Amino acid sequence: MTALGIKPAAPNAARIGIGGPVGSGKTALIECLIPRFQAVGIDLAVITNDLVTKEDAERLQRSGLIDPKRVMAVEAGACPHTVIREDPTLNIAAAEECERRFPNLDLIIIESGGDNLASTFSLDLVDWWMFVIDVAQGDDIPRKRGPAILQADLLVINKTDLAPYVGVDAEAVLAEALQIRDSRPTIACRCRGGDSDPGLDAIVEAIGHDVLFTARGAAP
Amino acid sequence: MHLVTSLLGNADDPELHDVLHRLEHAGRVEWLVLPRADMARRRLRAVTDQGSEIAVALPRDVSLFDKAVLVLSDNQAVVLRVEAENWLCLKPHDQAAALALGYHAGNLHWRVRFDGAVLQVALEAPVESYVQRLHTFIEDGRVSIEPPAVAAQGE
Repeated sequence: MTALGIKPAAPNAARIGIGGPVGSGKTALIECLIPRFQAVGIDLAVITNDLVTKEDAERLQRSGLIDPKRVMAVEAGACPHTVIREDPTLNIAAAEECERRFPNLDLIIIESGGDNLASTFSLDLVDWWMFVIDVAQGDDIPRKRGPAILQADLLVINKTDLAPYVGVDAEAVLAEALQIRDSRPTIACRCRGGDSDPGLDAIVEAIGHDVLFTARGAAP
Repeated sequence: MHLVTSLLGNADDPELHDVLHRLEHAGRVEWLVLPRADMARRRLRAVTDQGSEIAVALPRDVSLFDKAVLVLSDNQAVVLRVEAENWLCLKPHDQAAALALGYHAGNLHWRVRFDGAVLQVALEAPVESYVQRLHTFIEDGRVSIEPPAVAAQGE
């Protein structure tokens, strides 16, 4: 299953963060990732953050993609940044609860509650994090150089299929993002209707390589 | 690939020092050099100076540190070193500028330290991205950039 030949004998599950503006496609991306990880035997759970509702958790619980018990909701309150950066206590507690309920977990995905470009994850909470933007927000998002754009372990540019309808050159946005990020990992994808989108497979591969310790070029 | 799930000690520990000294003479000690920012990670993948791949997956209550021994056997050791860190040194020219600069740095979540009247900002991204955020301070002469301070490795 991995370059080690077996699942890594890690003492706990890997924790990854998914941040990004409201509507950029974080939950849709998770819906694409779940079956891909499940197909290769990765045992996972999801923690969602919403400001004052459980909207994203309930959407995933209803999706049929994952056992609803494996989806936990954190209500972030006023500031979605605080609970993933300055004081991630609620999310750490939720992750620990996930590990108690499902002791064989390989991966916990923590979705933030919707952020601006200043959002970053505490490394006390996650081992690795990605930030999701989409082309329909405009072609200037990468060059605004928010901390999220610069510091994320992976920048995801979603909804490439919408680019022609909003007057954006998706290839140019990707190229500019790569230049601004000094060639750090940046992947374009489409989550809606993109079942065979190579970008989604590349995201799975990046997570597999970086925190599940699969070989480069191999799916987890 | 070596999977590291615990830290074996500090390279300076007396009980490890002799073993490491012997392995170093035989060219068997590899160094895994990481940026300071990665010290907060419990899980990461990296490559040593001699090309060995290391996968770190530590318990949540264990933290990486400079000179942590990651791998130790009869014929190989891997020791962690923290990369020398660069700092952007900013000198505010009066008290009002110092107040504004301090607020600005905090607002941008920059990691800072103080050296007398100089504010030092840890460079975790290209220096240009920091200077761009300071252009109004620099253009109106309230803040100047001083010669860079480079910390020793592991400092």
